[in-house]
This record gives sequence, C-alpha cells and structure tokens, in this order.
Amino acid sequence: MHRHYIWATLIIALLTIPVGYAYVYWNKSGSGAGLYSREWQPDPVQAYWDPDHFYKPVQTVQGVFKGEECVACHTAITPGIVNDWRASRHAKPDNGKAPVFCLACHGSNHQALHMPTPKVCAQCHENRVAQFMDEKRYGFPSHALAMDRAVDAKHFADKPKAEVASCLQCHSVATKCDSCHTRHRFSAAEARRPEACVTCHSGPPHPDDDTYFASAHGKKYLAEGAKQDWSKPLTKGNYTTPTCAYCHMSGGLHQVADKTIWKFGLLEVNPNISSNEVRRAAWVKVCSDCHDAAWSETKLKELDHERRQAWAKLYKAENALKDLRSKNLLFPGATERPPYPMDAIENLFPHARIGYYDGQASAFYNVSVIERDYFETWYFVNLGAYKAAAHGDSAGVGSWHKALDHALTGIDTQAAALSAQGEAEKKAHGRRADPGRLWLEGEYTDYNREHN
Amino acid sequence: MRGRWLLLLTFLPAFAAAGQLPAGKFANHECVNCHTNRDAQLVAAWRASGHARPAAKAGCVTCHGPEHRGSLIRARRDSACMDCHEKLNRAVTHSYATSKHAIILKLEEDSWDWSRPLARGNYRTPGCSYCHLHAGEHNTRLSVMPWDPFQAGDESARTATLGQRQPVCGECHAPRYVAEQTETGLRMMDIARMKLREARELITRYRNTLPTEEQRTLDALFGGMQTHGRNVRLGVGHQSPDYQWWLGQPALDGDLLRIKGAVSGIERRRALPQDAAMPHAPP
Repeated sequence: MHRHYIWATLIIALLTIPVGYAYVYWNKSGSGAGLYSREWQPDPVQAYWDPDHFYKPVQTVQGVFKGEECVACHTAITPGIVNDWRASRHAKPDNGKAPVFCLACHGSNHQALHMPTPKVCAQCHENRVAQFMDEKRYGFPSHALAMDRAVDAKHFADKPKAEVASCLQCHSVATKCDSCHTRHRFSAAEARRPEACVTCHSGPPHPDDDTYFASAHGKKYLAEGAKQDWSKPLTKGNYTTPTCAYCHMSGGLHQVADKTIWKFGLLEVNPNISSNEVRRAAWVKVCSDCHDAAWSETKLKELDHERRQAWAKLYKAENALKDLRSKNLLFPGATERPPYPMDAIENLFPHARIGYYDGQASAFYNVSVIERDYFETWYFVNLGAYKAAAHGDSAGVGSWHKALDHALTGIDTQAAALSAQGEAEKKAHGRRADPGRLWLEGEYTDYNREHN
Repeated sequence: MRGRWLLLLTFLPAFAAAGQLPAGKFANHECVNCHTNRDAQLVAAWRASGHARPAAKAGCVTCHGPEHRGSLIRARRDSACMDCHEKLNRAVTHSYATSKHAIILKLEEDSWDWSRPLARGNYRTPGCSYCHLHAGEHNTRLSVMPWDPFQAGDESARTATLGQRQPVCGECHAPRYVAEQTETGLRMMDIARMKLREARELITRYRNTLPTEEQRTLDALFGGMQTHGRNVRLGVGHQSPDYQWWLGQPALDGDLLRIKGAVSGIERRRALPQDAAMPHAPP
C-alpha cells in the first residue's frame, strides 16, 4: 500500500517537472519578451536596450562600406563618436594589430547594421564574455540575468510600457557591454572607477554610492582617486584603496555574483552553509590584499550580525502582516484591489503578496498602505542598512537601523489600528467594511488596467 | 631674419585687434551695457531666461566671473551651474550627476579643452551648458521641458520638445534614437501626471469635508506626489534611471495609495457609530 504512494508521487513528479519546464519555455517563446512574451509586445525604444531581440536597422543609407569609409563619413556627421573611437584601443591596438573598425561590430551593409551585444564583443573578448555569462549559474542578483529579471517581473509586464521603460536603462547591463565600458571608447580604466557603477547603483534600494563613499575606502578614493593610474589591472598592490570593481570583480573577473553571500540583502540566508563558506574564503582572500585575514573574518561576522538583527526585525513586521492577511483585515483585501492583469493565476486566486518568496518584489503599487510601508521598509530601509554594513559605512548602519526601528513601530501601530478598526466594524455591522470602487478606479488605475 | 620681423610688425595691429579684450574687473551692468552693442541678441536671450526673469538672479558675472580672461572656460564647466543649482534644488543637480553624461564628464573634464565652443564633436559628453546653453544660446528656458503637474502634454509642446532636442542630442545620437527616447520620456511624464490627476480628484472630493488635521495629512501626501512628479521630469530630462523610477513613478504610486488609504480610513471611521470611535490609523 505504502509503496503505491511512493510510486504515484514519483510518477507525478516526473511528469510535472518537464511539463513545468515546457510551460515556461512556451510562455517565453512568443514574439515579445520574458515570461509574458505571448501577451506582451515591447515599445520600439526597447530595441536600444535589448538589441539582440528587437533592433531593426534604419534604411536611410544604401551600400556596403569599408572601415575607412565609415570613419570618413561619420567624422562629418557624428564626430564625437569618431573621436571616441580614435582615442580607443580599437583604433590603436597594441602589438601592431590591425585597427578594429566600425564594421567589426556593426556590420558593413548600411541597411543591415546591428547594435553590438555581448555576442558581438565575444568575437574578440571571448573570455570576458564567457565569465560574464557564467554568472548566470549563481542566480539572482546578477548582471547577466538583469534583463530577465526586468521582463519576467509582473509589474514590468503590467504597468504602462513608457513607465517601465525607465527600468531598461539599468537592466540592459545584461544585454550590452557599454553600460560599464561606455561607447565608443570602451575604456577598461573608466569601468574600474566606482563612478562607472553609480548610475545604476544609487537611489533608494541600492545606495551603494552613498554607503561606499561614506566608508573609509570610499573617502580615500574621493581624496586620491583622481591621481591613481587606472590603466592597471585590479590586483594586489596596484591601488591604494579598493573600488567597487576591485572587490566585486577582483582580478578583473567579469562577474559579480561568485562571492554573493547575502543576496543583495533581499532575503535571509544561512551565511555558513558550505557554498557560503567558499564565498567567505574568497572575500577574505580579496581583503587580504591589504588587510589581515583574521581582521577580514571579523568584518564578515559583523555583517552577519547586522543581517541577523535586520531580519529579526523584518520577520516581526512580516508576521504582523501575515496575521492581518489571515484574519482578512488588510484593507483593501486581495479581491478589492486592482489585479495584475496578465497574471491568470492571480486573477483566479487573488492573494496579498507578503514576503520574498511570495512575490513581494512586485507588490508595491496595487496594495494596501501597510503592505506598501512594509515594502519600503524591506526594499529601501533594510537594503540601506545592508549596503552600509557591507561597505563599511558604520555611521550608516546606525542611522539605517534607527530608521528601520522607526518604520517597524509605524507598521505595528498601523497593524493594531487595522485590527481594532476591523473588530469594531464586525461588532457594529456584523461584517467587514466595503471599500467599494475606491481602489479599483481612477485615471491612472483605469489606464494601467487597459494599457499593458 | 629681418624679413620675418617686418612681417610680424605688419600683422601686429591685426593680432592685437583680434585678441583685444578689455582688462580689469567688471560688474554685471557694465557687461550688459557693452555687450548690448556688440551682441544684442545674446543679451536679449539672457533677459528672457530664468536667470534674468522675473528677477535678475544670475547675471554675466555669476557664471563668467568678473574678468574677460578665462570667462568662457569658466562658464562652460559644470561647476559654474552647480554652485547655485545644488543649493536651489539638489534634485536638479543630483539627477544629472548620476547620469552617464555627468559621470563621464566628471572623470574626464580636467583633460578636456574647454576653450572650444559648445558644439558638435567638441565634447565627449554634454555638461549642463552643452544642452542648456547649446552653441551659446543664452535663453536657458528654451531647453527646459515645460511642466504642469496636471496638464496632459499637448501636441505642440511635444513637437517643441522634439524640435529642441533633435539638433542638440542629434550631434552625438542617431535621429531615431533621439526621437524614441524623447517620445518615451514624454509619455513617462504623461503617466506621472495621470497619477497626480487621480490624486487631485480624490483630494477635491474629500478634502473640504475633513477636520484640519486630516486635511494636513492629505496635503502633505499630495505635496509629496508633486515632488515625485517633478522627479520623473528631471529623470527624463537628465537621463537618470533613479529619478525616473524609484524617486519618481513608484514613489507616486506609494503616495497615491496612501491618499486612498487616508480617504478610506476617514470613510470607515465615519461609518462606525459614535460610541465605537477608533483611534486614528496612521496614513
């Protein structure tokens, strides 16, 4: 009898897994992008952020050209990019190699030009691109998976396209090499400097810039950075202070995920499982370029300590929210708020998303106030604390934790008020209050429902 | 040898005339007096700009310094603008400072030749002046996108923005790229305004029926939304992902739903009998 259960479970599992894979593959194989590719088509501007999938050449100029011809014509039309190219190693390679002209990356037929993507760069920079692509095996957070992260997100597919076009500037780090090595100079020296990262690594969820520049490392960089020789590789002895790339891409390895322990601060992890012990050793090795190994280990432990404290606080709030959800005290409830229009399952089984594994990352606009407050606490305040701790901004750790405590007190007060309000309504009317159409209507809310 | 000296003497007056700039320090009215005769159009453009109207806030000396020597170089560099604009509104300077344009400029500006005009091919990336005083256009108003937080972008404003951007951005970028990016940016701003109008509709409907304390709560949230709306515009204008997004659109979403939360909280409390009066839920 028991054996039957085992066999049945095994057969169901064996069937479900390939069916699941096939379903995801089918969803992704439409003409749009990501998990919603069968229902969602991008705006034309996406072509510039994800050229491999969407770029179509202009038909203005006819002809097939040689490198010198491109340069001659574009010196008149777009001298800026020609100047950039002339100053680059592409125009003046070492060891007497032939220059890399425009057509090596864009093609020579002017009506079939393409935008260079990692595939194109890999024609020569094979190792670097391979390292970059290899990052995918570590999962999120990742540069190489950043575009998937954007186009697979529910809110990306569900919000108006022009609104979420803002996401692509940063998430295109997966689809173009010039996020860090800006065109048309593609300078390694530029990408080594912390400023190269801050266009994306700044702002509420990832104040990497503020926390790094406030750290001892960052202060030293601000004082001495302009005088350093940035043409040197990111290895021991070449720099007086570490930069983003020195630690996260040590030795010039073109990926940032191999040492990630705390996963961007987004979820709680066990920092001491065997794979994380390997990562800890890798961190200690980088820090040991300048510091004592024991000292580096202490610093890692301090980060663990900060994270445990932060997660204890966050779970308290998360549990308060889950408690409200289970008692149907969230207001508006899951059925009283705008659904994600493209999520068939969500439409069948409306559900308030609380917690990382529940899809909280997309739950920041069509939610109740307390959920939004928790989202901000988790995504802005908690990540601020994490970045401060990880980058050695000790004053930041203090002020972010103060902000975290303040936010959590607010959530507690709100949860108590929601409970009391719900109880009073039940007592007075015998049922839950009806929010009517308040959350379901309005100019933007209507537009959002109809345009995606 | 003597021939060479003679040649030099012959051309000396011409050299002197070309390079002759009055020495000494000048006050703003002196600059304006002299330059009105020499370049009336430029002075008129400055008078029409936000720097001179409605009140003279930034005159010639503010950006160019009091002396002729080095005055163009001084005014072309970001520092000329940043000194004031950082204090006026940090969002303006910060939205630009984190853009790729500004980052590259910051890393390289000391090696650039700032004596060259603000025109095609002379600078690797645009600084403040490259876009807002392009080719010496002194009416900075022309390169600032109009922004009414509630008015839907009309077609003429859209055409004007595209018309203004195409020749400037087009000096480095392809025409189709400029058009697509500008159109997307304008639509992004339209969406921000939809959120502001949705909020305004609620405020109009509920505000006057409320006690002062609750009016203040709504006003603060609505004020916040107007800041987030301006952030979207700054993000679009300065190409800052963060100002378009985290400090813009999702911030608007957050305060819009907080306004809805405040309104529904009021309605819920009103629906309860007097004896079941509740403590105020925080918005």
